[in-house]
Amino acid sequence: MKLTEEQINRYSRHILLKEVGGKGQLKLINGRVLVIGAGGLGSPIALYLAAAGIGTIGIADADRVDLSNLQRQIIHSTPDVGKAKVLSAKEKMLAINPELNVVTYETWVCAENIQSMIADYDFVIDGTDNFAAKFLINDACVLGRKPYSHGGILQFDGQTFTVSPGESPCYRCIFPEPPPKDVIPTCSRAGVIGVLPGIIGTLQATEAIKFLLGTGDLLHGRLLTYNALRMRFREVPIRKSPKCPICGDNPTITELKDELDALTVCDLGH
Amino acid sequence: MKITLKLFATFRNGRFKVAEQELPEGTDVRQVVLGLGLTEEEIGIVMLNGRHGELDSTLSHGDTLSLFPLVGGG
Repeated sequence: MKLTEEQINRYSRHILLKEVGGKGQLKLINGRVLVIGAGGLGSPIALYLAAAGIGTIGIADADRVDLSNLQRQIIHSTPDVGKAKVLSAKEKMLAINPELNVVTYETWVCAENIQSMIADYDFVIDGTDNFAAKFLINDACVLGRKPYSHGGILQFDGQTFTVSPGESPCYRCIFPEPPPKDVIPTCSRAGVIGVLPGIIGTLQATEAIKFLLGTGDLLHGRLLTYNALRMRFREVPIRKSPKCPICGDNPTITELKDELDALTVCDLGH
Repeated sequence: MKITLKLFATFRNGRFKVAEQELPEGTDVRQVVLGLGLTEEEIGIVMLNGRHGELDSTLSHGDTLSLFPLVGGG
């Protein structure tokens, strides 16, 4: 496979980078990334992956665009209110880059559907807004040995790290169990500053691009935290936990289940 | 024994950013968390002397304990 003249022009600023070049751009074009969540985090992730020319991008979300989303979910516009988020997202992604194959999944991820969904992709990005989904994505990716980027935001704080199952610590190495429902506020209850998902989501998209290129260092074993008020990034070094219930020495989680007690936002849609 | 306790994000509301605390020998992280009026479920990351710690971790004189809330939105 060779780049066309138009592709060479479109991706010229990538191709100029020695870490990318023509070969790297072809890796991106042949790359397959699944974005779970087409909201705050999913918006910049999907837009940047589309612009970067990731050839196949899956996007999963069962929600519809609401006026209150538009303060931060920049892939959606005012005329999209009421439209399925995955369809609104697909339109914007194809407007940036019509060559892409955008696969939409208008559903919430659950234990029953996630394994077959992630199987088709090289890398998964968690852009979901609830702990049930975050734990499910971790478990599915660890069991399916699929690398993924975790992201979380609330109010003025965000965090992200990248999991390569078997190589690096997973979400449950840090947080063995999801918190009970309603203990931790969601963005819809506690608020979120609109630019925050732009920062964290862009970091997550960067990880996917680096993964496909096979260049640089991924956020393995380092939880990157960000506070917008103090404008401070921190790194918390994390280790693989021998006691981790899914990737430790004696795993107790060997199959997927929905964390019903931890549902916060998704349950509204079921 | 004396430790340095650092709180982050919403944990600072109505509390403090950083404080020295005088604690009995053998105190663990969980006891410090409960002493702040927080519950175990609210704790996201426990960082002990710059490394990932756990609620069961026993504290020693001179330790720096940092507590971050859970962040699960998107």
